[in-house]
Amino acid sequence: MFDEKDMILEARHVTRRFPASGGRTLLACNDVNLKMYRGKTLGLVGESGCGKSTFMRFLVSLDRPSEGEIIYRGKDITKLKGEELRQNRQNIQMVFQDPSGSFNPKMKIRDIICEPLLNFGRIKASEKDKVAKEFLTMVDLPEDFADRYPHNMSGGQRQRVAIARAIALEPEIIVMDEATCALDVSVQKTIIELIVGLQKKKNITIGFIAHDLGLIQSFAHQIAVMYLGNIVEVLPAEDLEKKARHPYTKALMGAIFDLNMDFSKKIESIESEAPSPLDVPPGCPFQDRCEHCSPRCKEDHPMLVDLEEGHQVACHMYQ
Amino acid sequence: MALLEIKKATISYGDREVVKDFNLTMEPGQICSIVGESGSGKTTVIRAVLGLLPGGGKVTKGDILFEGKSLLGKSKEEWRKLRGTEISMIFQDSGAMMNPTRKIGASYIEYIRTHEKDISKKDAWDKAVRMLERMRLPSGDNIMRSYPFQLSGGMRQRVGIAMGMTYEPKLLLADEPTSALDVTTQAQIIRQFMELRDDFGTNIIVVTHNLGVAAYMSDYLIVMKDGVIEDEGDRDHILHGSQNDYTRMLLDAVPSLGGVRYV
Repeated sequence: MFDEKDMILEARHVTRRFPASGGRTLLACNDVNLKMYRGKTLGLVGESGCGKSTFMRFLVSLDRPSEGEIIYRGKDITKLKGEELRQNRQNIQMVFQDPSGSFNPKMKIRDIICEPLLNFGRIKASEKDKVAKEFLTMVDLPEDFADRYPHNMSGGQRQRVAIARAIALEPEIIVMDEATCALDVSVQKTIIELIVGLQKKKNITIGFIAHDLGLIQSFAHQIAVMYLGNIVEVLPAEDLEKKARHPYTKALMGAIFDLNMDFSKKIESIESEAPSPLDVPPGCPFQDRCEHCSPRCKEDHPMLVDLEEGHQVACHMYQ
Repeated sequence: MALLEIKKATISYGDREVVKDFNLTMEPGQICSIVGESGSGKTTVIRAVLGLLPGGGKVTKGDILFEGKSLLGKSKEEWRKLRGTEISMIFQDSGAMMNPTRKIGASYIEYIRTHEKDISKKDAWDKAVRMLERMRLPSGDNIMRSYPFQLSGGMRQRVGIAMGMTYEPKLLLADEPTSALDVTTQAQIIRQFMELRDDFGTNIIVVTHNLGVAAYMSDYLIVMKDGVIEDEGDRDHILHGSQNDYTRMLLDAVPSLGGVRYV
């Protein structure tokens, strides 16, 4: 399913440390290795604070890792500078969680959609109106929305505009940071359908961040589960239900409120909360919340190992 | 006697009727949920129950009865006796209802001393710590000495539940109590809500847009659209028996494991 020659981006040993008060360091990403493939969606799942946004921000060059490299088009994009960096931004775009926060409230939708195109000299100012309408149609919004301001729209409509702005430059990769989590479930569904439709049409690679495995498995090709800065499992999305191995992946699956669940049973969920990334315990990061924890888990940090093609797990039970 | 009875209530902001002809009868020991999209008026309903409608909002027609007595036209003093002790509310982000520049302890003690005028600060502190620990917050003393921003979303929500449950109210209103939380924390908090009914006999009305959560928690579900009740019934009716198109559309939109795959 994932052909190596379709690989479009590869993160190698990406680590990010943030300095914290009292001379401590916060380990946000620890030796993350991930691959993204052309036209496929990578879903990155984990609880808040696990480092999933930190990682995705490296892809759009909003931040740089402390160690490691991200190879895109044969170059390490974490080392780019100046004009080369600016030009590279055309290829990787981002959609944020709260679109009202990422739009200038004083700009009309027309200017919001066309700003990236003007910045890179792709269109002339006189073409703005035509181009904006084209993109609005593409995301299923009426053309006269071009004259509106962001505050005159609902959350779902704003998110569509954010997607229109992201695809305007025809990027190869789009990163979406919890792009639907502020929306109603019914609106969420239409946005997902839009994203999937655009992906098929334009063969875009998507990196999608979410905390809901039920949502992500409905449209991702590849799922990576992250815990305390570590990737603990990577697997094809279609195998999630049958083949998920890591106790944390299973815990996330157990916490989904499914309409087909057995309502007489109590919902299963791991107790307690994730430890602070300021003092990650030695050994397995998940040890405190894992019911299969053995003495070895407290000392040895489990590495990601291949179970089969495209399925890797970092757990001592499978090594 | 029904614990709460909303009879044909119409709620308006100025001339605009936001909720029309809303009916609900809650028997003791029930958990009921109101689901619908944003703007459907679900929050307005539970705010009306607690007399917390924002500026200009009023129940213009119908009546809301709590234990047989009308809640409309109560004076400030009467509300003070009712809120927190008989009916309380939990918001989407409990951190936002606390003063960010004061420690949890200061807010909590103030809350307790508003309801019990003659309790000493020391006793109020102990009472608060006991309550926090009952809500499975480890080391209540530490929590009391923290600022809201120092706690995680799930912990803040537990503090909110602890505060709301201090006087074991008969009716608890929860407005999107888990929408801002991770799935794992959401499952923990929902489970805790269910235990409130077993431990305290609390009746709960939950407002949520997540049908999965609503179906798991409640005995009775109300689906709202544009200010009117679109569909209602017990879980089995809503999930399997309902012929209503809108209900079906909402059900289809809930992502589930092994459900629709778009790719």
